[in-house]
Amino acid sequence: MVSPVLLIAIPLGGAFAIPLFGFISKHISKYIPVIVTLTMLIIVGLLIPEVSTHPIVVKIGGFQPPFGINLVVSPLSLFFSGIVSLLGFLVSIYAIKYIQNGDIEKYHLLFLLFLVGAVGVVLTGDIFNIFVFFEILCISSYALVAYNRDKDGVEAGIKYLIQGSVGSAFILIGIGLLYGLCGSLNMADIANQIHSVNSPLLFLALFLFITGFGVEGAIFPLNAWLPDAHSSAPSTISAVLSGFAIEVGIYAVVRFVWTVFGASNLLHFLAGLGILTLLIGELSAFKQNDIKRLLAYSSIGQIGLILFAISIGTAESTTGGLFQVLSHALSKALLFLAAGYMIYRVGSRDIKEMKGIGARMPVTSFCFLIGAFSLVGLPPFIGFPSKFIIIKSALLTHQGYFYFLVGTVLLGTVIEISYFFKLLQGIFSRTGETGIDEAPMTALVPMVILTLLIVGIGVYPEVVSRFLQLASNNLIDRIGYINQVLGGL
Amino acid sequence: MEFIQNYLYYIASFGLILIGLYIILIKRNLIKMIIGLSIMDTGVNILLISMGYLSGGTAPIFSRENLLPSRMVDPVPQALVLTAIVIGVAIIALALSLAIVLYRHYGTLNIRKIRGLRW
Repeated sequence: MVSPVLLIAIPLGGAFAIPLFGFISKHISKYIPVIVTLTMLIIVGLLIPEVSTHPIVVKIGGFQPPFGINLVVSPLSLFFSGIVSLLGFLVSIYAIKYIQNGDIEKYHLLFLLFLVGAVGVVLTGDIFNIFVFFEILCISSYALVAYNRDKDGVEAGIKYLIQGSVGSAFILIGIGLLYGLCGSLNMADIANQIHSVNSPLLFLALFLFITGFGVEGAIFPLNAWLPDAHSSAPSTISAVLSGFAIEVGIYAVVRFVWTVFGASNLLHFLAGLGILTLLIGELSAFKQNDIKRLLAYSSIGQIGLILFAISIGTAESTTGGLFQVLSHALSKALLFLAAGYMIYRVGSRDIKEMKGIGARMPVTSFCFLIGAFSLVGLPPFIGFPSKFIIIKSALLTHQGYFYFLVGTVLLGTVIEISYFFKLLQGIFSRTGETGIDEAPMTALVPMVILTLLIVGIGVYPEVVSRFLQLASNNLIDRIGYINQVLGGL
Repeated sequence: MEFIQNYLYYIASFGLILIGLYIILIKRNLIKMIIGLSIMDTGVNILLISMGYLSGGTAPIFSRENLLPSRMVDPVPQALVLTAIVIGVAIIALALSLAIVLYRHYGTLNIRKIRGLRW
């Protein structure tokens, strides 16, 4: 059996090994993330059979759960760690050739720390530990957004930093209030006694947690930083920021609302907020001329859909929401990676300059096409089953409120189709330019793997749907979570 | 008067947090905003410390004789604050270094004038 602690320890060790290997050769640093993330992917694969039967609770230092820090490896957290390691692996292959300017060692160091933060947030079962990992995630992403040190990057970075750190301060106040009320930092222990606490401060704490994590999760109206940060960062970083960083923020919000606070009466509010986020994102994306800003706004729309699906509150809708997390992670990462080299070849982020790039970069453009189709939700790509499950489960609730919201989701999809088709029309229009100028092999391999995954899972959704059902049961089953961690204490 | 005595720490810490938030929202100078961030962090730290503080209390060392539980200070918030201070320092350091690079690009720290992207 493999210890799940390795999922955090290996990237952390790898991050600090990079400067040491730098003494031997400057070129080793770009291969270390590939090896580290491949190891993480193998560990996740080895853990799947065991976690499918029962979640693993790791007691760090051997302290019984209400005391000390523990990791809870449930199907849900393993699902998120799987996405983090898969995207981390593909993006670090892409980065071998793509990242050439600046201090390359520091880029790879920060990238690995970013992965540590993301994996830590989803694995931990302690509210202060989640804050610490969240800060590792946030601080490394502030630095990575500003990595190019150009005008846009630095401005976006500092904007992101200020909004993000106000959010973190809110989380810390929330932790302080919750500790004062419950006298514990363990999620399961707090969840166990939260309904016996009767204080208006509890509502304040919940509000602070939703606001704090909502900044990273890009919930409207806390998402002003996202379009700037995602469009100004290097494309590899945009891919991981869109691919799993905002989903990790959503995970934290959902974990606190569902498991820790058990505030199921708040779900209607969150569903409405999700739909608002979706509409704002899709409408803003519609009028963008910058390809990466367009993709960033489309991420806001997708996040809104994920939040909506999880907030419907049935087991099936949560499965759909998690499916959408997977589909968005794969498709949006593919789109950002493909856009990365298109921008590099054209020398501009303007959509009008992209005309005819389809003839110059056939494979990249084809991958971009698949990613866009999947995001819109066309069969047989992965976006189709995920959107289908969400809409079906929302209709099965038989509530007028959700009928109305589903109508809005479909409207959002129509807007999404129109701007993606406008973009694709430009890319594949004929300009008479010839001469193939394809992206290098290190970029094509991750893009083709992502394309194959999108088509493969789209045709055979059963491959992942069983595990996703386990994950969604794990999210909904609050009492089960408490019992697993505290061991019937 | 008694109210103020009982809740002095909470009033002070929330006061600092609100002052910090006010500075971040209202001021236009980036350095002042970063100072506001730092004030806010301090307020949060005081709030955490005051959760478990006991006037005249001491560290909970169980091997020491004659130490009653009512005289022990809760050590958990202090450990949290220690971590939070370190994180705060990292954020402030990164913010200041980004501010330096931003100044080199734009020649100003006024965020209303820095409008490469839509703020």
